Amino acid sequence: MTSMQPLWWFALPVLLLPVWWHMRKRERTRTDLLATARFLPAAAPQQQRVLRWTDVLLLLVRLALLATLIAWLAVVAMPWKGDTVFIDPSLETSPWAAQQVQSAGMGAAAREPLPADLWNWLARNEHEWRPGARFLILAPGAAMPALPPRLAHATDLRLAPPPAAASEPPAATRMQPRERHIVVSAPAERLPRWQALFTAFGTAADGANRYVLSDTPTAVTELIVWDHADTDPPASWKAPLWWRTTNTNGQTQTPQGLTWTAPQWPVQDVDAARALYERWQAAIAPAPAYPMRAQALKAERSHPLPTPLARSPEWLALALLALFVIERILTHARRR
Amino acid sequence: MLETPALLAHSADLELVIRHVLAGLGHGIHAGRERGAGVEFSEYRAYAPGDEWRRVDWKLLARADRYYVREAERDSHVATWLVLDATASMAEPSRRVDGLSKHWYARTALACVAAIAQRQGDAFGLLVVSNGKVEFTPASRGPRHLQRVLAALQRATPSGVLPDAETLRASLHFARSQSMLFAATDALDWPSPLGEALVRLRHMRHDVRLLALRTEAEAEADFATGHAYRDPEAGAGLHSFTRADRDAYSAALESHFAAVRTACRQHDVPLCEARIEQPLGEILRKWLRNPEARRP
Repeated sequence: MTSMQPLWWFALPVLLLPVWWHMRKRERTRTDLLATARFLPAAAPQQQRVLRWTDVLLLLVRLALLATLIAWLAVVAMPWKGDTVFIDPSLETSPWAAQQVQSAGMGAAAREPLPADLWNWLARNEHEWRPGARFLILAPGAAMPALPPRLAHATDLRLAPPPAAASEPPAATRMQPRERHIVVSAPAERLPRWQALFTAFGTAADGANRYVLSDTPTAVTELIVWDHADTDPPASWKAPLWWRTTNTNGQTQTPQGLTWTAPQWPVQDVDAARALYERWQAAIAPAPAYPMRAQALKAERSHPLPTPLARSPEWLALALLALFVIERILTHARRR
Repeated sequence: MLETPALLAHSADLELVIRHVLAGLGHGIHAGRERGAGVEFSEYRAYAPGDEWRRVDWKLLARADRYYVREAERDSHVATWLVLDATASMAEPSRRVDGLSKHWYARTALACVAAIAQRQGDAFGLLVVSNGKVEFTPASRGPRHLQRVLAALQRATPSGVLPDAETLRASLHFARSQSMLFAATDALDWPSPLGEALVRLRHMRHDVRLLALRTEAEAEADFATGHAYRDPEAGAGLHSFTRADRDAYSAALESHFAAVRTACRQHDVPLCEARIEQPLGEILRKWLRNPEARRP
């Protein structure tokens, strides 16, 4: 059993509080006032300190409640998982994956789908695995984290070889083109040129994108082209990116979105169109991650690091709630 | 209606209790030297709440459309002093009747005496002896003064011990002219500064009447055994009560009250002993009866 927040165990003396509350020093003799007591024989005070437990059931429930609360705060974990293969869903059926599992000697190991944020996820949840357990990670590619991962379990990262070009299915059936919503507002004589430009953009990147032109923006609109130099667009129009015609070249940030301005829209020659396209794609596409090599990582420490990211299991919180309810009910019943 | 002390004790209204007790008592308890109000007419006075209706002049009402009360020229020579012992031991409850205590009984008896004195036109004053102090209400006449005295009686709560002899001597300077003194106490402190003061007043030829209150449980040694008992005035000492102690207790209590009786007889102070479970009217009649009439 390990604890991710071991400092919370110092709160254990709180358990003494209910013990103290339920311990009663009982007086053996009850005293009454009596006006004629002076005519009675004097008696030695007979008060005994007899330890007595009151409401043992309530005491036990309160102790359990506090202990559960501390365990929940201390993020107690019982490591029960053994060797595990993390495998990307796309590789589930591939012969390469089966061969890797065999060669790593992990045929009997449990399989789990590859989590999205792999290294952080492993650091957060590592405490669920037994100390000697090994990880085998089968993925088509892995992003290099800023720091090399230092886990408490030996980890083997294996990357699937890139699929051969021949075995690749034709592009048309491989994926549907992604729809990009564009709003174009331009004078009638320039509108066909804008349509031609976006049709040309549609052929780039192997047809991965299909540009849908419309008149009014919606929530999915990515780009608004405002090709009127003399008027302003309606204030309610909003989009991440605007192309507007003004007399200066530049880029400004407005409440309606980032605006690129140029005196002469749409671009006339092929090179300018290509430059615009590349600039646009670079602006909206995230930078690709640096790929990580396939490698075997040794266990860097014997126990997982305590991490504030670790969370207690839900059933413990439910048990805490149930104990609290029982304690309230018992207290109420005692008062009646 | 309110036949027993048990029922009376549940009435918070002291005036109602007085009216009830006095209704059963009738008149002529104490022959005042003066006749009733209005023997020698002196003046008219505007009616004030609390005045008796029979003293309103109805002819004047018909003439002036206002209520006027006929005031009489009268002056009783007898002042009545009421002494209430409100020490902690007076809180002793009756262990038979709920809500009844020595304090309640003494207070109500004194309120009845005050009401009688007011009806007869006597001046009356009050001394509440409590918590080592004496609370003094000067003697006066009239219905408003009765209200004042009743309020002082209502206010009194049993606590503390008797004041010492010095304090009492300083507070008893009032008795110049001949007066009657009605003292209600439990007489458990005897000899006590209060007893000595009363005896001294008796020697000054005042008419001192003592009411000594006990509960039935006390008199018959009939309270729960096996408890430890504490004296409310003596501090922390504990006393035990078992069946074997019963006779010794009865003997000690009896000898104490015998000493009280002897002292009272010796100094010619009429002593009226009562148990608070007894009807208040009877006890009041016994207390107020002229002691000379009883003597052979």
